[in-house]
Amino acid sequence: MIRKELVAASAEPLILSLLASGESYGYAIIQEVKTRSGGKLNWTDGMLYPVLHRLEHRGLIKSRWGESETGRKRKYYSLKKDGKTAMHKHHEQWSLIHGVLAGLKKEKYA
Amino acid sequence: MLAAGVPSPVPLDELEIHLRDEIEQRMRAGFSPQVAFETATQQIGRPHQVQGEFQKIETARDTLKWKLQQLALVAGAGLFPLWVSCIVLFKVGGFSQTTPGERVSCLAVMAVFSLLFWGGRLSHGLFPVIPSKRTRDAILVAGFILVAVWWMVFFNLIVPRYDFTAGQFGVAFLWGFATPAGAFAGLTWGIETAARKPRAASTT
Repeated sequence: MIRKELVAASAEPLILSLLASGESYGYAIIQEVKTRSGGKLNWTDGMLYPVLHRLEHRGLIKSRWGESETGRKRKYYSLKKDGKTAMHKHHEQWSLIHGVLAGLKKEKYA
Repeated sequence: MLAAGVPSPVPLDELEIHLRDEIEQRMRAGFSPQVAFETATQQIGRPHQVQGEFQKIETARDTLKWKLQQLALVAGAGLFPLWVSCIVLFKVGGFSQTTPGERVSCLAVMAVFSLLFWGGRLSHGLFPVIPSKRTRDAILVAGFILVAVWWMVFFNLIVPRYDFTAGQFGVAFLWGFATPAGAFAGLTWGIETAARKPRAASTT
């Protein structure tokens, strides 16, 4: 299991990146993250919504109420322009960290 | 969730819809309705933790709003006396007929106004800390009603009893209008600043 500090730190870039491919809603975002991480990145469901609301408050994403195919009311979130910029910054930073770690690992096991 | 005080009905709507989706999914996976409900509610997380996260957003919103309000207050506290003082000193409009003594009195009103306005902010440590926003709002509304009643009494009942010259009217107008306005603004600023002080300390 991934440590909760890392789970919390990765929530924002993951949400922004998922929304970059189109609008989505809370439940679907959680399922997508779970599937992509092979079940290793397991968010506490209720914690996703404060993050979504915070991103919306910061003007990175926007929301609208809509209906699912079954007629159930749903709140859909989508990326705003500032969100896209924030996502790119996250990608740069995470790539940097990944690059440093990969380099260190390579040196150690070379 | 309601019992835990999750603040706005909108997140509650979302959480409820999420819970229904999760229960349906688990039932499709073969769980009984009872087990599906229990495991789904566990997965949502503890109400006080979720509430805590929403509270952080509310606090951030409140902080931004308070900064903007303070900017408006600083602008009001600075610009209004400056504007009135310029009108008085340069004898604009009705103030062209004021005597030197009346002009000094007008400037004194502005000094008192500024003192009351800034006094509230600077002496916020003397104000009681009222954590409830509703109580603070009630005090401020009551204060504003008192000031408004005073303005009505002063301008409709007191001022017409006297045969003022234009200059005297200007002086009376400023004393009757600006002094309670300054006191009210100072009270507002002091109460709101006092209420935010412990919160700021606890979040750092």
